[in-house]
Amino acid sequence: MIEIFHVSKTYNGRVALDDVSLKVDKGEFIFLTGRSGAGKTTLLRLIFRAEVPDEGQIVVNDRNLAHIAESRVPYLRRTMGFIFQDFRLLQKKTVFDNVAITLKVVGMPEGLMRPKVMNALRLVGLDQRQGALPSTLSAGEQQRLCLARAIVNDPQVLLADEPTSNLDAQLSAEIFDLLKVVNLRGTTVVVATHSADMVSYLRRRVVTLEDGRVMANGTAEA
Amino acid sequence: MQFRYLLEEAADNMRTNRATTLIALITTTFAMLGMGIFLLLYLNMQSAVGSLREEIKVIVYLRDSVGPQALAELRAQFSGDPAVAGIEFISREQAVIVFRGRFPSEERLLGGLGDNPLPASFVIKIASHFRSSEAVGAFVQKLRAYPEVEEVLYNRDWVENLTATLKYLEMLGFGIGIVLAVSMVTILANTIRLTLHSRREDIAILRLIGATPVFIKTPFVLEGALLGAMGAACSLFLLRAAYGVAETKMTLQGPFWGLGKGLTFLPWRVSLSMLVLGMALGCLGSLVSLANVGDVRRQ
Repeated sequence: MIEIFHVSKTYNGRVALDDVSLKVDKGEFIFLTGRSGAGKTTLLRLIFRAEVPDEGQIVVNDRNLAHIAESRVPYLRRTMGFIFQDFRLLQKKTVFDNVAITLKVVGMPEGLMRPKVMNALRLVGLDQRQGALPSTLSAGEQQRLCLARAIVNDPQVLLADEPTSNLDAQLSAEIFDLLKVVNLRGTTVVVATHSADMVSYLRRRVVTLEDGRVMANGTAEA
Repeated sequence: MQFRYLLEEAADNMRTNRATTLIALITTTFAMLGMGIFLLLYLNMQSAVGSLREEIKVIVYLRDSVGPQALAELRAQFSGDPAVAGIEFISREQAVIVFRGRFPSEERLLGGLGDNPLPASFVIKIASHFRSSEAVGAFVQKLRAYPEVEEVLYNRDWVENLTATLKYLEMLGFGIGIVLAVSMVTILANTIRLTLHSRREDIAILRLIGATPVFIKTPFVLEGALLGAMGAACSLFLLRAAYGVAETKMTLQGPFWGLGKGLTFLPWRVSLSMLVLGMALGCLGSLVSLANVGDVRRQ
């Protein structure tokens, strides 16, 4: 599903990733942990092709990202979903439109779009707030909205970068429970987090990065 | 591609940046109005020159020695020339009558000269395809070669001057058009740039969820096209109003100098072309400011 071979990335002389190799199986749920600057976000950005590695290869869904033309990158991203700590919602669009945009981008007809959007909103518990603007939602609701947007197109891979860093423990647990549900539906989930509580709460494989290198790779202890 | 959605996005952009949109609309209107005024003047002047050309007549004065037989042959030859639309013979006697009719106070002049000094002549009306100054010049040269012809006169100077003025106007119009078009593209490009700036986070989100550059750029291109078309439509409206005033004044004061049939407004094809031009310049302005927007790495 996701294979990373000896990947290195440097920004202005500062090493962000150093000879990282990693394999994430189809349908797996893994955590990327480590301190700020350890390379978690860089690794995610390389997977969704916002960056290209200086060295090494990345294969996602049997496609080597080094061989994907710039013009094909949007099509690669349509097979992925993204969640960020700062939500990144369209502030002038309603809850419904924020989710529907993912389907509009792929050119889905209006008739098919509505039931899919409503299903995603129902899953995250926002179906009653479909007409609201993001600014009227709580932080937890905004993150759930991001999740609905990320999963509405049934992505093969879901990437989440510190999805709970702006949320309290209870809201964080809600988000992780939802991620678990998404994973159970067959989506591969990669979550970058520094929340040790959540890592031990879910007990999934944990890859720990430090100074751009993989320091540990195994299942979290309870 | 969902055109309705993209069009709504374009309208949203315009609503979001109302002040900038209004300024862009006003400047676009005035730029297009400048082009419209010039086009209107040019087309009316062209039509006036056309009317004046219809009046081009060549007068062929004949030698006194030309007899009735030669006269008939000459008339037949002239009439057969494709440059001739009509021919009228004025005998020496008729010429005197015409002279007396036009200049009654100068009759003494004719008396003092004894015999009738006025020559017989043919007044030739030129066919429409031969009304350019080059064609008339060539035809006149041909007429002058006849031994029976004493002199050939035609109202050449002012027609040639008018034609030359029209050519200068064409060049001036081209220059003015380019300057106005460049300013319009610059203004619209800056407007779209401001919209882009205010929507930069939305654009980053769209890139992230797999929107193609075409999907991202189309609303901005449509915004430019809408602004250009609206500016062109407003300018046509203003131009029509100004034209109405000018037409009324002309009706009250009477026709003048070649504009015997009055002014004419821009034909619908030209008006439509102005709308299309406005849209095209609007699109161009957008594309100028959208050069780097498709870069997928900008997250």
